[in-house]
Amino acid sequence: MKIVLDRPRCEGHGLCEEAAPQLMHLDDEGELVLDREEVEGADIALANAAARVCPVAALRVA
Amino acid sequence: MTPPPASDVDLFADDVLVDPYPVHAELRELGPVVHLRRNDVYALTRYDVVRDALADWESFSSASIAFNPMANEALTGTSLASDPPVHTQLRATLTENLSPRALRGLKGQIEAKADALVAELVEKGSFEAIDALARAFPLEVVADLIGFQGHVRDNMLRWGQAAMQVLGPMNQRTAENFPIAGELYGWCSEVKAEDLAEGSVGRGIFDAEARGAIPPDTAGHIIHQYLGAGVDTTIAAIGNIVALFAEHPDQLALVRANPSLVPAAFNEVLRFWPPINTWGRLATKDVDIEGTVVPAGAQVAVLLGAGNRDPRHYENPDAFLVERNPVDHLAFGYGPHGCAGQGLARLEAHAVIEALSRRVERLVAGPEVRVPNNTTRSIEELPVLEVISA
Repeated sequence: MKIVLDRPRCEGHGLCEEAAPQLMHLDDEGELVLDREEVEGADIALANAAARVCPVAALRVA
Repeated sequence: MTPPPASDVDLFADDVLVDPYPVHAELRELGPVVHLRRNDVYALTRYDVVRDALADWESFSSASIAFNPMANEALTGTSLASDPPVHTQLRATLTENLSPRALRGLKGQIEAKADALVAELVEKGSFEAIDALARAFPLEVVADLIGFQGHVRDNMLRWGQAAMQVLGPMNQRTAENFPIAGELYGWCSEVKAEDLAEGSVGRGIFDAEARGAIPPDTAGHIIHQYLGAGVDTTIAAIGNIVALFAEHPDQLALVRANPSLVPAAFNEVLRFWPPINTWGRLATKDVDIEGTVVPAGAQVAVLLGAGNRDPRHYENPDAFLVERNPVDHLAFGYGPHGCAGQGLARLEAHAVIEALSRRVERLVAGPEVRVPNNTTRSIEELPVLEVISA
């Protein structure tokens, strides 16, 4: 599975980082960085949780 | 597909606006979508359909977020009332100075302001929480942020309230508030860079317009949206924080014992009492919702507050429990139109909760006074009779 970020839509609310800090973080500029894009096993649930809490629907797992 | 169940509930009746939850429960049980004959709207009542509709801008357009044509007409061309692809650019312009990354530098100032205000009120021992805190704090934050000065500062509260009232159906409240909302509109269409304090975000928006970073003549519109959308709702949320903590001392004690619960507590305040319970959309085509049809062209009422209390999604939804941390609540909407100011709202509310929970052990409040409002459900007066300080 792959985490897909709609970058223009991302506003840096950071809720995804709280849900899945192992997979993504906001950098010093407040821009989201996907530390891992390909996920498998238990990480799929984490990635889905991160996508779920994005308030502007900028993340999905495909 | 069959037509949805119908109901004679009036979403904008005084008693429903003041306490919508019994009606929300009744409508949720009738079905995920209910035709409200008296309002001539199709109400979305359950968590999943509300969230799905907010994400689905192709089926549910924002061309009709208000419940009267005059307000929808006046909002045409704003980010709030447009759909992709036009919306995408407008939204980017609006959030350029409002996104969490733009606001990072303000966190310390906002926390210091909240703490100073809360400290002063705790020292007093009793106070009226709406004027002294729920209104005073966001008005100061937003005024300083945008750089409002002079008479504009004095008008922010009534302009902000009117901007929300006029989104209702064409009832007396809407009619009475159009002239006041018009004052705000008029001022925003004439405001110049030099009217706003130097170094403010408002001044920065004009600078961006001058250097061509945003389209010509958009600065005033953006300032209009900051004021129209960001004042009344935040005031409601902060009043609700005080009232809910006064009513639930056990929940305040949990936050006091574990300050990392501050964001969770705010999520629960918003889930339990969202500042906005009802928001409009327009069905662009016949939309199938679990086997029933919302007809093309229908005015849709998205019941954010009903979704937030849906037992299909939240266990024991009528209980106020800060530890449940409902991060997916619907109070900010969701998706492309998700509240553009939620980053600022979180900064303000977290600062207030943090200061209250550190300085206050218990609040004894008298009965809250509520006044019906077409759009924002907020407390008008909340006497805090006694503060048991920490």
